[in-house]
Amino acid sequence: MNASLLCLALSSSYAGMLALCLGTERHWKQLAAAAPLSLRAWCRPLGVLLLLLALLLSLQIWPASMALVGWLGMLSLCGLVLLLLLPYAPRLALGLPLLGVLLAPVFMLG
Amino acid sequence: MSRQPSLTQSMSALHTWAGLVLGWLLFAIFLTGTLAVFDRELTWWMQPELQDRQVDQASAVQVAQRWLAANQRDASAWNIGLPTARDPSLSVSAGEQRRGQRTLIDAESGEQITPRETAGGSFFFRFHYTLHMPRFLGIWVVGFAAMAMLVAIISGIIIHKKIFKDFFTFRPVKGQRSWLDGHNASAVLLLPFHLMITYTGLVIFFLIYMPAATDALYGGDRDALLRELRPDAQQQQGARRGEGGRPSREVQTASAAMLPLDHFITLGEAHYGAGMLSSLSVAQPGRVNARVEVRPLLGSRLELTKGEALAFNAITGELLRAPPPTRTSLLVQKVMAGLHFAQFGGYPMRWLYFICGLVSSAMIASGLVLYTVKRRRQSAAQGVWLRQVEWLNLACVGGLMLACVALLWANRLLPADLAEREGWELRVFFGAWLAALLHARLRAPLRGWLEQLAASAVLLLGLPLLDLLTALAVPDRIRLGVDLTGLGLGALLALAAWKVSTRPTATVRAARRAPAAMAEVQS
Repeated sequence: MNASLLCLALSSSYAGMLALCLGTERHWKQLAAAAPLSLRAWCRPLGVLLLLLALLLSLQIWPASMALVGWLGMLSLCGLVLLLLLPYAPRLALGLPLLGVLLAPVFMLG
Repeated sequence: MSRQPSLTQSMSALHTWAGLVLGWLLFAIFLTGTLAVFDRELTWWMQPELQDRQVDQASAVQVAQRWLAANQRDASAWNIGLPTARDPSLSVSAGEQRRGQRTLIDAESGEQITPRETAGGSFFFRFHYTLHMPRFLGIWVVGFAAMAMLVAIISGIIIHKKIFKDFFTFRPVKGQRSWLDGHNASAVLLLPFHLMITYTGLVIFFLIYMPAATDALYGGDRDALLRELRPDAQQQQGARRGEGGRPSREVQTASAAMLPLDHFITLGEAHYGAGMLSSLSVAQPGRVNARVEVRPLLGSRLELTKGEALAFNAITGELLRAPPPTRTSLLVQKVMAGLHFAQFGGYPMRWLYFICGLVSSAMIASGLVLYTVKRRRQSAAQGVWLRQVEWLNLACVGGLMLACVALLWANRLLPADLAEREGWELRVFFGAWLAALLHARLRAPLRGWLEQLAASAVLLLGLPLLDLLTALAVPDRIRLGVDLTGLGLGALLALAAWKVSTRPTATVRAARRAPAAMAEVQS
């Protein structure tokens, strides 16, 4: 239970960072140049929402004060993973949250 | 333009010098601090004679009680270290807890075990805040470095002009540009962690670093301050002195049958939660005034709950004293210390701290390397100075990593019954570091980096094999974790070594790409 929650919280904070990243002109051009430009404006609010979702999820894992610490740590590390994936594996950078969401039920079984 | 340097320029100089001079120390402090996140696990790995019997605390405490009743019947106090998730060993001692020699016993059979002496994971913990110097000197030096870290963080924020624009920017294989990107990104993305860990690190020793208030209000009597902060502590100590301190006068006390100790595990778990107890002690065991204290793990709350205990009457099981809530001023300090020690939140939190700590160490190292990369391009006049910085960088970064792995290898390869074994392990640690220092001085910089990174990588990658060959049993959960972590870190260092070895071609490529890169920047 805890592992799958953690997996979801990580996926959601990574997706949030990814959305914030897509919100910038430079990275929109790099990753989503083919998509309609009108979508870009939605990236930032979506990113903030996803980060809040990650906070809600970490509140399920830890008591409130610890959740805040864990949440900040997860955001930082997910941002760093994204940063490292961007130049080397941009496709994986886009698909990683999906992988996380698919993995979460696997942990639930185990 | 005035001739006075601008704010950015002076901040840049401050950042460079605070970062460079104390960066060598800071890397050592951060790396050993990161390893200390798993200090108990490392100690367990370093004593392969011990085995995880996977018994629960209630049955372990019965085994301990039997052993103590058989071997230490007349002791003034019994102390039992309970097996926990991070350290499944069962230890017993008699008399005053601090002074008594701990005896390890098998949690199943109750037989005494004598594991090898080792510096253990706690070596990294002590090195982290004393740098293996005399305690107070070390704490002051580390505190000074931590202040420099705060200065470097704040001046770094000021001189980094495009924090938000470059938030997710990393451009590899572009020499100085890549180093700057990496340094910036790891600093900015983990800024909350860097600030938190540095600031809370300073707060832990607030009485040592900022004694003025204690001097003014309590005439320098630190105990007086502590008494006022924790009124119960004095009471507690008094009580302990009265009951446990002078066994000779209390010999006459009538003996009485105690409740089985596992009863108090149940009571303690009801208060602190299942699996949250760390130790149990009995004052005046087997006497009418026998008293049991149950202590929690430092992990049920954010606050660092060191020294807290529940006290029971050992004959009737009646609760004598529950820990009082902490006063707000002390609570703030304890929460700060708790944030630094990361004893809360279980393994997920521990891993977050470990990875964040690794990134912090890498951030500091990248700053050190960035200095040389930048200067190398600027002028040849600084050749001698630059050469000194280059080999010191290597000795402090590559050398320390090598020394840390060497300590683990020494732990397993030195004969288990060697006299003063702990000292020999440390001799290997510092010897490897010294060898790395000489090596760094003698070799050309890139060659030196390649060789030291590769050496650390090979030793780390070989860690699981070493464990399999030298351990007496199949690796348990904890040892396997250490082995696999070593494997992962070894792979990272091997990747770094490979990058260094292919670097000349990379520069050529970067040079070829330079016009394109310029165009990209201008667009």
